[in-house]
Amino acid sequence: MRDLVLAAVDAAMLAGARYADARVVDSRQESVSVTDGRVEAVESGESLGLGVRVIADGSWGFASTSEASTEAASRIGLEAVKLARAASLVSGAPVELSPVETYDAMWSGPCEIDPFGVPLEDKIALLLEADRIMRAEPAVKLTKAHLGFYREHKFFASSEGSCIEQRHTESGGGLVAHAIGNGEMLTRSYPNSHGGNWLQGGYEVITAFDLPAHASRVAEEAAALLTAAPCPSGKTNLIIDDSQLALQVHESIGHPAELDRVLGDEAAFAGTSFLSLNDLDRLRYGSRLVNVTADSTVPGSLGSFAFDDEGVPAQRDHIVREGLLTGFLTSRESARLIGRTSNGCMRADGWNRIPLVRMTTVSLEPGTWSIDELIADTDDGLYVETNKSWSIDDKRLNFQFACEIGWEIKNGELGRIVKSPNYTGITPEFWNSCDAVCSRDHWQVWGLPNCGKGEPLQVAHVAHGASPARFRDVRTGVGR
Amino acid sequence: MSKLTEDQARELAAHVVALTQADQAEAVVFSHDSSLTRFAANRIHQNVAETDTRVSVRAVTGTRTGVASTNILDGETLSECCAAAVAAASSAPKDPKFSGLPSPEPVETPRRASETAESFTPERRAETVRAIVSHSTSDSLSAAGSVASELQVVAVANSLGTGVAMAVSSLRATVLSMGDGDHGGAGWASYFGADQTGLDPDSLGDRAAALALRSRDPVDMEPGKYSVVLAPEAVAEILSFLGYLGFSARAVDEGRSFMSDRLGESIMSEAITIVDDAWAPESFGLTFDFEGCPKKRAPLIENGVAIGPVTDSYWAGRSGRKNTGHALPAPNHLGPVPLDLQIKPGRESMDSLVATVERGVYVTRFHYVNAEDPVTVTLTGMTRDGTFLIEDGAVTKPLKNQRFTQSAVIALNEVLGVTLEREFFETMIGTALAPGLLIQSWDFTGQTT
Repeated sequence: MRDLVLAAVDAAMLAGARYADARVVDSRQESVSVTDGRVEAVESGESLGLGVRVIADGSWGFASTSEASTEAASRIGLEAVKLARAASLVSGAPVELSPVETYDAMWSGPCEIDPFGVPLEDKIALLLEADRIMRAEPAVKLTKAHLGFYREHKFFASSEGSCIEQRHTESGGGLVAHAIGNGEMLTRSYPNSHGGNWLQGGYEVITAFDLPAHASRVAEEAAALLTAAPCPSGKTNLIIDDSQLALQVHESIGHPAELDRVLGDEAAFAGTSFLSLNDLDRLRYGSRLVNVTADSTVPGSLGSFAFDDEGVPAQRDHIVREGLLTGFLTSRESARLIGRTSNGCMRADGWNRIPLVRMTTVSLEPGTWSIDELIADTDDGLYVETNKSWSIDDKRLNFQFACEIGWEIKNGELGRIVKSPNYTGITPEFWNSCDAVCSRDHWQVWGLPNCGKGEPLQVAHVAHGASPARFRDVRTGVGR
Repeated sequence: MSKLTEDQARELAAHVVALTQADQAEAVVFSHDSSLTRFAANRIHQNVAETDTRVSVRAVTGTRTGVASTNILDGETLSECCAAAVAAASSAPKDPKFSGLPSPEPVETPRRASETAESFTPERRAETVRAIVSHSTSDSLSAAGSVASELQVVAVANSLGTGVAMAVSSLRATVLSMGDGDHGGAGWASYFGADQTGLDPDSLGDRAAALALRSRDPVDMEPGKYSVVLAPEAVAEILSFLGYLGFSARAVDEGRSFMSDRLGESIMSEAITIVDDAWAPESFGLTFDFEGCPKKRAPLIENGVAIGPVTDSYWAGRSGRKNTGHALPAPNHLGPVPLDLQIKPGRESMDSLVATVERGVYVTRFHYVNAEDPVTVTLTGMTRDGTFLIEDGAVTKPLKNQRFTQSAVIALNEVLGVTLEREFFETMIGTALAPGLLIQSWDFTGQTT
């Protein structure tokens, strides 16, 4: 690997690049899924390739190939320089990078039990058992259970002298029960929707999920939703569980705080941000209870590493402190524009993608409440769990989320179930209405392996820590 | 140049099938060269290129299947990949509903890889960007977008004798033109074709800039139900959700489609006819699916009546329907999906649709649409890049971007007019040939600030 990245960097520098870095990425994945008592997919895959990024004539160029040879590495080093020179034909100010120290380092993420060493038969048996339990509920007409594993071995080198080797393993999985009837399909998931939960680690992650133990409850709740009341329309006090709040943080704090978005680089695809450079240390993003960090050092999180894909060390940085916007997610190039050094958020989706500013573990820091105290303190409201759908405007202001299940809160107690609760709001108004955040006892890191951004599309594995929190006067039951 | 030729890809697929020690085997080869120039703030900020070839193997042991894939093409790794697929199949329980891989069928593979697409060099892309952004810079606007080209070869082979390969090319250009913070305003234009023959960078840049100027100083609108005129790109997005969620035999048979138990019934306006047709003159994609079966023209909705879903070999076998040739690559969690959707044209123009609206909304396109209810295809999303109030038959004021929460099925049951002219778009999954539509009632549930 070292030979490949050095050959690419050397070729680019010889061709006239002012800066070059290269990454070899060797990845492996496996997924197993069952549906309705049959195996739907048993799949494995691997991918190996090399990407090189250069600055030449003041512009970026990036080329990649799946051919793992020093000749191919040299060829794409030259191609990247040509691409940069072509980009400079319609250029702005020359690209400048904030400084970073050089490192010669190795890092490995946690993995106690190699998930690729666990027999496929054991994985299938686990899923079929959970699936069998869900199908025992008559109203559940469609079930799914799945496991997934990913391993990445990456080697980075830059023309500034860094050589960094990193390895990590990710494991994830979950259950889904669909109750279907009367022209409706109601869904419950565990431990989360849209792929379950994912963490860095080995098969011990799956064992800890204990999927069969939750299958019966998931199926019963899906069935109960078929006869549940619709979500009331109006404004209410909303308590959001930690898994849904993780996605709320993702969409309405993580993405708008990406500095490349703020600068307009994503405008034509995923949109811009309502934030501007002038908002730094000025904008009241939320109430004083809202503290948000970007932390790539959280053990076992999908957002953790030792160095980002520019060779910047992992770190913990406050994005919002006591409600005030205090930081952005940055790269070496963008950080320079706010007079800072990078907080290490440049990540690429494999060897064939250029690094972009991405989330790491962007978390709502815990507060002091217990969930029981919070519900008891709420006279009238709604408690919602588990994301069903999400949408937010191109400036990350107007959002609307739907959840799988909700419970009315009356006089400090959970009441009847409501189906498909949704809520909408405007980002800063919403976060300023936060008047309670639950404690670290309720705080959990949720892995999101499906964060899309960029052209060509990149899918990042990111994470968010959150505990349940309460928001006042939120509009629910939209379009119902 | 694409990394592999069609012959090379076909030979590789056949070689991998021969390597696989199973009752049956299928191999799919994907080989592509892609390049993309991205711009924002009137300058190029990203210029990338990629070459890759991936082989995916499906092994069949009795009624059990397993899949493995790799992009490492040496003999040893390919053998290991085939063995991994066989091991996966051997680990899986039997699926009595799996009746084996499809038998070979004749497939026509017209030439759809344009030679001119191969000459779209980084310098040509930069010249294209320069022409696009010049229309924004001259009006003190800021332009962002991308110009991308791809050459792709796909080959499918199986142990029953299937062996097909086809090269396709595509070129896509987009531009978003934006005003400043004081007045706002945004306009959008896009191009999607087999090559640059129909690409007019000046026209793209001009259209986006003009729309941005026209949508400055947007005003508020009260939430509620309004008549709406959807431009073709907005219609294409709605159509793609219908295809993804409802037009699959799997969704229909599992009871989670708006067509479940309603085949033969009128579920949409008589003005709506929807087909999937890879052979349409505008199409430039593959003419076979990822099992190597020919894509057949599939009527889905005819004059508002639900006709039937698309199938692949598995879901055709399960449901007793004919295989329409709409398989995705294995393993496939979605079931068969239509990738070449189109709505039959009407007789109207966009202007004539607007002229009939007393009070309504004109939508250029949508942003971040997602499904809240997959059965009714109840979608929520935002408008962007040109939303206008229609009053007394004319577009009057620009509006702030609006949120909607609306069932697409109900909306298509309230269609009052369809345009003759259609446009071709790449969607989140496949392509769509879409007209403009006038819909009687569309539920706008909020707006951005």
